[in-house]
Amino acid sequence: MTWQTFLFLGVAGSAFGYSSYRFKILIQMMNNHQGKAYRLDHIPKRILTTISNVLGQKAVLRKKSAGLMHATIFWGFLVITLGTLEQFTTTVYQTANFQFIGIHAYSALVFMEDFFTFAVLLAIGFACYRRYIIRPESLGKSKDANIVLTLTGSLMVSILLMNGFHILGDNPWYQGAMPISNIISHLLSYLALSSETSGHISTLFKWLHMMIVLGFAIYIPSSKHLHIVAAGPNTFLKTLTREKAMAPINFEDETTTQYGTAKVTDRSWKDVLDYYSCTECGRCQDVCPAYNTQKPLSPKMLILDLKNNMYRNKDKILERKFDEVSHVIDDNVTEDVIWACTSCRACEIACPVFIEHTDKIYDIRRNLVMMESKFPTEVQTVFKNMENNASPWAFSASDRAAWAEGLSIKTMSTDSNVDVLLWVGCAGSYDDRNKKVLRAFANVLKKAGIKFAILGTEEQCTGDPARRIGNEYLFQTLAKANIETLNRYQVKKIVTACPHCFNTLKNEYKDFGGLYEVHHHSQFLAQLINEGKIKPTKTLDETVTFHDSCYLGRWNNIYDQPRNVIQSLPAVNLVEMKKNHDESMCCGAGGGRMWMEEKIGKRINVTRIEQALDTRAGIVASSCPFCMTMMTDGLKTKEMQDKVKVLDIAELIDQSTS
Amino acid sequence: MNIYICIKQVPDTETKIKLNSEQSGIDTTGVKWIISPYDELAIEEALRLKEKNTGSTVTVLSCGPTRVVEAIRTALAMGADSGIHVDLPETADNNLIAKALAGAFKKETKIDIIFTGKESIDDGAAQVSQLIATYLDIPYITVVLNIEYSPQGVKCKREIEGGAFEIVEAPFPLLVATQKGLNEPRYASLPNIMKAKKKEVRVLKMADVEVSAADQKIRFKNFQLPPPKQAGKKIPGDPHSQAKELVRLLHEEAKVV
Repeated sequence: MTWQTFLFLGVAGSAFGYSSYRFKILIQMMNNHQGKAYRLDHIPKRILTTISNVLGQKAVLRKKSAGLMHATIFWGFLVITLGTLEQFTTTVYQTANFQFIGIHAYSALVFMEDFFTFAVLLAIGFACYRRYIIRPESLGKSKDANIVLTLTGSLMVSILLMNGFHILGDNPWYQGAMPISNIISHLLSYLALSSETSGHISTLFKWLHMMIVLGFAIYIPSSKHLHIVAAGPNTFLKTLTREKAMAPINFEDETTTQYGTAKVTDRSWKDVLDYYSCTECGRCQDVCPAYNTQKPLSPKMLILDLKNNMYRNKDKILERKFDEVSHVIDDNVTEDVIWACTSCRACEIACPVFIEHTDKIYDIRRNLVMMESKFPTEVQTVFKNMENNASPWAFSASDRAAWAEGLSIKTMSTDSNVDVLLWVGCAGSYDDRNKKVLRAFANVLKKAGIKFAILGTEEQCTGDPARRIGNEYLFQTLAKANIETLNRYQVKKIVTACPHCFNTLKNEYKDFGGLYEVHHHSQFLAQLINEGKIKPTKTLDETVTFHDSCYLGRWNNIYDQPRNVIQSLPAVNLVEMKKNHDESMCCGAGGGRMWMEEKIGKRINVTRIEQALDTRAGIVASSCPFCMTMMTDGLKTKEMQDKVKVLDIAELIDQSTS
Repeated sequence: MNIYICIKQVPDTETKIKLNSEQSGIDTTGVKWIISPYDELAIEEALRLKEKNTGSTVTVLSCGPTRVVEAIRTALAMGADSGIHVDLPETADNNLIAKALAGAFKKETKIDIIFTGKESIDDGAAQVSQLIATYLDIPYITVVLNIEYSPQGVKCKREIEGGAFEIVEAPFPLLVATQKGLNEPRYASLPNIMKAKKKEVRVLKMADVEVSAADQKIRFKNFQLPPPKQAGKKIPGDPHSQAKELVRLLHEEAKVV
């Protein structure tokens, strides 16, 4: 033991002590959030997910260059940390090195450390090039990032210099395992220092390295670098399935006096872990249709603003004075931010640390709508229509089956002994363009010999628009009425041409006693084609591009079936837009935006139709009534409606079969 | 202030109207009932007045069969304090309704202001407001677009024919009938919907408000639905021949010019 032992123990003790104190506060903040979150099911699956995404960097590597850069730094630090630990132990007790693992193992370790130190340095160089020269918009400006890059860069440089001088000063037996450090020592030898001086300088760089590491321990809790601690647990606790339902509210519980999120503390500890995990990489912002059309919403800024709101209220949260915590809507998270979301979920799918943005937005909407009656004025009519006529559009409920006139389609009230219930949806019932889609789909079902029926005037809106807009009460009223009807007819199997109805019936009615086997018509058609029950024969000598619906794709992971349906058409040429599958861009109608005016920025549907037009396809295929409306409107705006057609996949099949 | 609102429950605007078998009125089976939209403006105005004057109460009245209590609850959910349901038959005419409401008002201790819609959207008669005020012998201002309040009364901007407006002043107590444009009615918040379920709704029978079947002055018979709308006609050709054909059709077929 030397003076170094005591100095190190003193400094390290203080640094780790202070750091633990800061972490204790961070955990207290999580504990003092009032919302509920339970995430400890399916442990083996969670472990595997964590291994592939943390150790394997799977989600990070979805972006090639930045991903590889991050993975290099991450893997590098795993190895280098072993070296850092050895520095700590040898500082405390000089001979407490890791050489006990054996000559070969130790040589390998030293080699890995040497290699990764250099690799990490290169990666940091690339990070600097990206952040300061390329400057992608997603990164923005970040003081945190400047500090982190400087410190990590210094860590690597100090290791290389430490080892370079170490070789000169001590001539260690394992120096052959350090090719990079050998080059450094060769360069340093031009300084012509004595071996004793070299040894001292090596010790100096070792101390510099250790001090920066300890500095990091102090710095991490208050920086975006907190993700190195939080992102692992956040990955472990992620929502495991694509399909997820919004959390239902129990309106029968009379002790509940507040609905939705009014304050950050109304969220749960898991949301806080989301804030802690955010690395500010901006992948969510890059893919956000609202952000990309100049709306005030950036999913990245939303998370940072919520985090800042929480920090502003830190003292009150720690003292559990929740009444005094300020409102979640502030100068940064404005109502316009909350209403700009289309619930397309591109942000969540893009996030490498599995932050769930939409849960927060939609619970804030619930509070605005149900507690404060605050929403875009045009939405009031939508609510009233749904209350009075069970449809977001102002049409008489008695006209719901009018689309089917002349098709002799049975209703469940006349004959419920059918293979499948055709759920029409409000767009299919009332919107002139989408009525044609439903007629085409019904025709195809008949051609395939499927026994089906509709509910007719007994069908009501699923409530999806109300739920997305934040009117959970109205949603549940409609959902319960529909479930009562469906269960009365003992419905087992449902098919629908609307992804919004599909998602609600399949994933959300479960929570209210509605358990059905629900198919989207893309799945149903794909299966009918597969089984040979329908055979498209007429050639379609045309280029088709398929526009993914968010509630089919990102919310339910259905990408192949609609494409398979299109490709079953003889001679068809299916081309993809630049943004497709998980990276597909929303049409702008989700999240209740279908019924809100788009007053800010460029129109989302126009942006998307431009991407479709770039493919030079003559047909834009859709599988969602809202996408149909938005794409068709977009074409009109671009004055391309005479050259390009928007058709539903059911219409393509109907036209191609006899 | 003691603020009152009279509302009427009417079929939803999207209802497909059918006649009853005697053709004395509409077939009410399957009808979705709503508050007449002009009356919602009256509710909103009453609530805003209450919010400006602490200690005020807002009472909402409606005449008709038991189903109208649903409309009263909706007004209570928007923020009114209590309701009075005057139990009248489905067939009641404007005079019976107005006299019954006036009878109900006479039982109240003090009235400062009564709000109604300028007309109901079902029969569109625009009679009841004036009749109530006449039975109560208080001033009334109809088709009101803007209201300024003073301690003594109100100064209203009201719409008159030809797109013109007039400014009318009247002292309390008085009746104001509201026109679209006065305000944007609110959407009831969920806590208020819950609270509304527990608010008091008193029921008054015809005898309580001193009216009888004899106050019904109108009997309805032989209701007719309007003829179904004809399909539109598109006139082809160049502007000159289009205009010529349009004039011919207006003259010979529609006989309006």
